[in-house]
Amino acid sequence: MTHTVTLGDALDMTAAAPLVKELLGVRGQPLTLDASSVRRLGGQCLQVLLSAQTTWAADGQPFAIVEPSPEFTEGLALMGATDLCPISPVQD
Amino acid sequence: MDPLAAIRETFFQECEEQLAELESGLLAMEGGDQDPETINAVFRAVHSIKGGAGAFQLEALIRFAHVFETALDEMRSGRVPITPDVLKTMLRAADVLADLVRAAHDGSETEHPLASGLVDELKAMSGQAADEDEAEEDWGDFEFQPMAAAVDMPEAPAGPAGFVVKFKPRGDLYAKANEAALLLRELARLGQTVVELDAHEVPPLTEIDPEAAYLAWTITISGDTDEIAIREVFEWVDGDCELEITKQGPADGGFDMASLLARVQDEAPAEDEGPAVVPANAGEVDVASLIANLSPAAAPEPEPAPAIAPPTLSVVASAPAPAAPDAAPEAQAAGGPRKSEAGATIRVDLDRVDRLIDLVGELVINQAVLAQRVMEAGLARASAVAMGLDELEQLTREIQDSVMAIRAQPVKSVFQRMPRLVREVAAMTGKPVRLVTEGEGTEVDKTVIERLADPLTHMIRNAIDHGLESPEKRAAAGKPAEGVVKLAAFHRSGRIVIEVSDDGGGINRERVKGIAIEKGLVAAEATLSDEEIDNLIFMPGFSTAAEVSDISGRGVGMDVVRRSIQALGGRINIVSKPGKGSTFTMSLPLTLAVLDGMVVSAHGQTLVAPITAIVETLQPKAEDVHSLGGHARVISIRGGFVPLIDVGMALGYRRDPLEATQGVALLIEGEGGSRAALLVDAIQGQRQVVIKSLEANYRQVPGVAAATILGDGRVALILDIDTIVTVSRGDMRKAS
Repeated sequence: MTHTVTLGDALDMTAAAPLVKELLGVRGQPLTLDASSVRRLGGQCLQVLLSAQTTWAADGQPFAIVEPSPEFTEGLALMGATDLCPISPVQD
Repeated sequence: MDPLAAIRETFFQECEEQLAELESGLLAMEGGDQDPETINAVFRAVHSIKGGAGAFQLEALIRFAHVFETALDEMRSGRVPITPDVLKTMLRAADVLADLVRAAHDGSETEHPLASGLVDELKAMSGQAADEDEAEEDWGDFEFQPMAAAVDMPEAPAGPAGFVVKFKPRGDLYAKANEAALLLRELARLGQTVVELDAHEVPPLTEIDPEAAYLAWTITISGDTDEIAIREVFEWVDGDCELEITKQGPADGGFDMASLLARVQDEAPAEDEGPAVVPANAGEVDVASLIANLSPAAAPEPEPAPAIAPPTLSVVASAPAPAAPDAAPEAQAAGGPRKSEAGATIRVDLDRVDRLIDLVGELVINQAVLAQRVMEAGLARASAVAMGLDELEQLTREIQDSVMAIRAQPVKSVFQRMPRLVREVAAMTGKPVRLVTEGEGTEVDKTVIERLADPLTHMIRNAIDHGLESPEKRAAAGKPAEGVVKLAAFHRSGRIVIEVSDDGGGINRERVKGIAIEKGLVAAEATLSDEEIDNLIFMPGFSTAAEVSDISGRGVGMDVVRRSIQALGGRINIVSKPGKGSTFTMSLPLTLAVLDGMVVSAHGQTLVAPITAIVETLQPKAEDVHSLGGHARVISIRGGFVPLIDVGMALGYRRDPLEATQGVALLIEGEGGSRAALLVDAIQGQRQVVIKSLEANYRQVPGVAAATILGDGRVALILDIDTIVTVSRGDMRKAS
């Protein structure tokens, strides 16, 4: 079954390490990240999300970020990472 | 002065103005001002300080200003409600900011003891993560639309003045609590950006070090910006990232040194300025670009400015402005209000004004000398020379008034320091206090203003510490818990009057008298009027606090306040109503440069009595004068008795008193309204005299306030009436 992880509201530098831990904990199964409550996104958490995306792809597992908050989308746009989460998210 | 130091000095001068603006804005908001422009002004003040600080690399100041600015921005955007508590924190932050500015000015940039605590408070308030040091802003106010426009059009051609920025953070950048995303956001403000992410270094999740930095960006910026503005975005992370900025397309305009200097000095930019010096957030950039221009290596050869950016580009570039709420006020800060001020004021070295005032003083003396000579030459008053001289006198006086007006300043500059003092003392004493100020626009000579701060500080401390009761006592007396201290200034009969009043318990006269007796200041059996008791607190060595308190103690009493006021040629007195509070009233001359005086003679010496102290002059009649034994005498004036003081004796000119009927008495009113009559030999006339400090040229002489030069070229002493009265009164007490 798809595991859903709700991302915290402040994805800043302090959130990166716990996020890695949390994602590693759910590795090997389809993953949906709920970005609806993200208020800010920093470079280090973006790295973690990008890493997770490639890791899941390598594992052959579905990976999706859904319901991005405007702030999350804007953060991605600022950092040129809109590919991580398409602007029109597809619900699964 | 080397140019950089001069600009630095200008920056700090502007900082003082910004700080004043900041505080008055916050205070206005505390008073219920909801005008968005007030909040904008407050924000702009902090923003400008931060910008300048960035240019001079004043790290502590930048960091604090940044957090402060972010919190203000939250308040401005309505996400942080404007409540009294929030404003109190903001005011304290303003205090710390002021300290940091001054520390930076002195070159003693160290950690402020309160800064880190306030940073946490401000961050908590504005939802900034407390453990992130800086570069953390709420992103909510960044409107998505303009970014989307930029991202949606990746094919948009780079503008004529485009830059390509290659930016790769190192782990240290994040470790130092900087945020790549925010730097990118700052870049996005400079113009239209296209961001390209290079994530090829990002390892799989199992190998990732969350503290490391793997991402790199290539940002193409088009629009009206310059390399300096871009570099400024990265100034805090210099060394913690790989940064490469390359120019694309045709060159942007060269810098015009003169117009840049003009900008720093608040003058309107020259019209032919190239677009390069009008970057998106010019408020931050001007000083920085100036500095860059000062080093010849960094100054690009002036190139012809491009005519005007292509219309299409400027439309695109300006499109984000309405959507981004920050852009508009910033633009305003850089252009709007400054331009309008530019024509209204100029900065002049105080030394130059002082010199002018000195010279005008000499002119006044010279004119008096000339008048004397003409009189001595026996020319008729109606003669053409004498009439011309009269006109000259009027003109001289007008010149003098105008020159003095140049140095006159509103007392606001001193009053402005008081809210902070009140907050600090209120916090130390645990008494809630509201400071009400009135008449801040009242003008007085700068020399007086400078010397007002100390006595005022002491009086306000005193009013809160001793004047106001504790909140419990206030509650018991049916008063609101919050005490009110009022500071008011106004002009009255050619002097400035400053009142410091509190709504506290008033003077405890029993206790004051008890202490005075205990300390041997008055005789135990002395009968004193309420007013006399109140004025006991001005006696040297008097302090009502049972133990020296931290706040008003420090071994300095109200006697010191009185002495410093007297040194300014002023008077101070107190009116106190039990249970209602006390009011200290200071009356000061408007200037320390000239004085209207009554020229009198005593035992062949010419003296000047300040006319403001003189109530009336009279010819003593033998039957009105009564001897009290020794040389002490009183004179009866309209039913009351006042001491009669022989000025010649008081100053040691003669040993035997002048027969009262042979002289003239000047009825004077001293501090606290006490009256005395000064006996002099004769009155010569009334004139304006130029004050020459005796202390600066000789030393302080008791009973003499200063000296002046008369028309005949002789030096005359200006009487310090209050001292003469006090000393004589003491002598009289001893005699009786």
